[in-house]
Amino acid sequence: MLFNSFHFLFFFLLVTTFYFILPHNKRWLLLLLSSCYFYMAFVPIYICILGFTIVVDYFAGILIENSNGKRRKLFLVCSLVANIGILCVFKYYNFINENLSYLLHGFGRSNPIPYLSILLPIGLSFHTFQAMSYTIEVYRGNQKTERHFGIYALYVMFYPQLVAGPIERPQNLLHQFREHHHFDSDRVFEGLKIMIWGLFKKLVIADRLGVYVNNAYNYVPEQDGMTLLLATVFFSFQVYCDFSGYSDIAIGAAKVMGFDLMANFRRPVLAKSTGEFWKRWHISLSTWFKDYLYFPMGGNRVSIPRWYINLMVVFLISGLWHGANWTYVIWGGINGFYLVFAIMTQKTRDRFNNFVGISKHPKLFLFSQILITFCLITFSRIFFRSRTIGDAFLIIKKILSFNGSPFNGGTSILIYCFFAVFFLLAVELKKEFYRGSFTLSHHPNFWIRNSYYSLLIILIMLLGVFDGGQFIYFQF
Amino acid sequence: MTEVNLFIFNFDYSQSIEMGFKKLSAVNGYQHLLIKTGAFIILAFIADFFVGGIFHYFYFKQSSGWEYRTKYSIEDTRADVLIFGASRAQQQYNPDYIEKKTGLTCYNTGRDGEPVFYYYGVLQGVLKRYTPKIIILDVENNVFRESQDSYDRLSILLPYYTTHPEMRPVIELRSPFEKLKLQSRVYPFNSMLFKIAIGNTDFNKKRFEDIKGYVPLTGALDEPIRTVDLSKNKYAVDTNKINCYKSFINDCLKANIKLYLVCSPYFFRAVGEDTSMQIAKEIAKERKVDFIDFSKDKLFLSNSKFFDDTIHVNVSGSEIFSNKVADTLLSKINSNAR
Repeated sequence: MLFNSFHFLFFFLLVTTFYFILPHNKRWLLLLLSSCYFYMAFVPIYICILGFTIVVDYFAGILIENSNGKRRKLFLVCSLVANIGILCVFKYYNFINENLSYLLHGFGRSNPIPYLSILLPIGLSFHTFQAMSYTIEVYRGNQKTERHFGIYALYVMFYPQLVAGPIERPQNLLHQFREHHHFDSDRVFEGLKIMIWGLFKKLVIADRLGVYVNNAYNYVPEQDGMTLLLATVFFSFQVYCDFSGYSDIAIGAAKVMGFDLMANFRRPVLAKSTGEFWKRWHISLSTWFKDYLYFPMGGNRVSIPRWYINLMVVFLISGLWHGANWTYVIWGGINGFYLVFAIMTQKTRDRFNNFVGISKHPKLFLFSQILITFCLITFSRIFFRSRTIGDAFLIIKKILSFNGSPFNGGTSILIYCFFAVFFLLAVELKKEFYRGSFTLSHHPNFWIRNSYYSLLIILIMLLGVFDGGQFIYFQF
Repeated sequence: MTEVNLFIFNFDYSQSIEMGFKKLSAVNGYQHLLIKTGAFIILAFIADFFVGGIFHYFYFKQSSGWEYRTKYSIEDTRADVLIFGASRAQQQYNPDYIEKKTGLTCYNTGRDGEPVFYYYGVLQGVLKRYTPKIIILDVENNVFRESQDSYDRLSILLPYYTTHPEMRPVIELRSPFEKLKLQSRVYPFNSMLFKIAIGNTDFNKKRFEDIKGYVPLTGALDEPIRTVDLSKNKYAVDTNKINCYKSFINDCLKANIKLYLVCSPYFFRAVGEDTSMQIAKEIAKERKVDFIDFSKDKLFLSNSKFFDDTIHVNVSGSEIFSNKVADTLLSKINSNAR
């Protein structure tokens, strides 16, 4: 069930209505059942995998809390092995096997291990990471065990963020299932507005850009350099609007019912450095890796070479988290390298900026920082979007030739794409740099404020791509 | 007395007042939401009504372009002979030659990439206004192939949903929620903003030649002929498409229109027969409709210079082909007259 479908609209209205009709102590059951239905609308049988994870982590949580010393650690390890094991089987088994085949082929031998014909359960990486955060926090003593099995199951399965995040922490979400959420019309309206903006980003911006990007990236050998260059830039905006659009709909849907989910994006296209970019992009995953991988490895409180290694490891694993393909690993590696390089060259770059004198012109300096960061991130996304490493290198080669025309698929597609990008940038720049100034979305006058949202709905009806299909991050 | 006091003191007033406020605020909250929602819906409705009205006005005011051709086919043409089909109709049948030979007026309603749903929808619009004397339906390989894209392409007919009730059943095939979406006046013009804007200028007239719906192709194919085994081309057929094709034939027969199903030339030697073509021929035979097959015409099979690509003839090929179609029509008309 996609957020951008009528199926979801009816589902959401029905669940929300019953949520407020039912007494507080029955609401968890409604949410749990509706979350099961939501998940089973994709591939019903995969609810069993989710069920397995929930049962393992529920009991692991209790056992960890009830034990001390090594046993405590043992139960945590068991839980992590079960979760990562499921990820490995469903997401990485064929990838590992394929690489093994290549390796054995190099030695003139064939691989006797068969491939599995399995479909990746939707949102597996998201809910597995959310489940793991629970047992880790219980182990660390930051979270009390949830003894109510239904509420714990709901923590993993809460439908707004079940398949593509935000990846929540138990400290933020679990207690909210026990709180009594009174009906609050202002909050309901606020949630609906976030949902409309998310839908706008998905249907009008992401899916519109997707038409151009898919045309280019699905037929790489036939494309010109200029087409691929523009498609790569558009993809940067597409993936942002697709994913942040999903997050907005999730956050809005939860808010309507009284739940506060963590923010997942903070205008990453306006980041001034790659380091800052990762504090603004997919925040729930970045902080997950920071809290559960980077800090346990020592973070930056280690020797400098070890610090660099820590950063590279985190980004390589982050790449692998996104997909079982070397393209994702390279994408992660490039982004890790950006951070390491930025740290290594900090002083040199400062000296260079002073020498050139650009730091004396704050606006120009800011613009150049944003532009350079955007270009670096966009370059890395060539690997993220390409189907194979060969395709990625072919794209880079073609882009560097700067030949041909960007008019792939007609002028009107291009005009729609530019409109979409400019609209997004206008909103993002306004939010970033002119926060306190004139606002339409939060204007004190009811009619002006709602005219803005009516306009968004009209633009969705007029320019939205209604056949665009699913969200990019669902595959992860 | 003591019991009464106990009762009074045991009752938690603060809790009662708090619950009362909560209930009250909940009721007010619902009322608040209803009022706000109502006001928002009115705003959205007004915006939808006016913006949709503007698009409706400019859509039907177009004077060039693909949308204009569709609108002309549905609402304006009164030609004696109408040609239906996809790109192989649009780019191969030149009405000028058919008019010259037969003495009947002719218009080509074909539209590039459109499936049988489109032709059937246009036919409904035409039959509502008048009855053409002859209809030529170009039938091609893969015409009944199952494809979601064929349903998505029905978006072209959305502007006619309110004005042409006879086209609604075919438009509603697009998706189960189409009827609901079409409550909006703006939605029918989804993704048409620039097409409508350009259609209201003369820009399209400079971009491509449009001879009574016929759009000539000017390229010339330069490659040897291939042999294609069509029987190997296996695919799932769409029963909705077959039903539309049947309904197209039935409606023409019911209106006493002389219908010709034509398979235009291909530049490949076919081995076996395409699944869709087999079905189309069987249906034609069942309903006793003339099926004229040019796909094995030797003149075309031996001359790549008549083709723009392997499935579309170019402007020179079109001249020969249109004349051949006109000759066939003429002989049929004459034999019927005798």
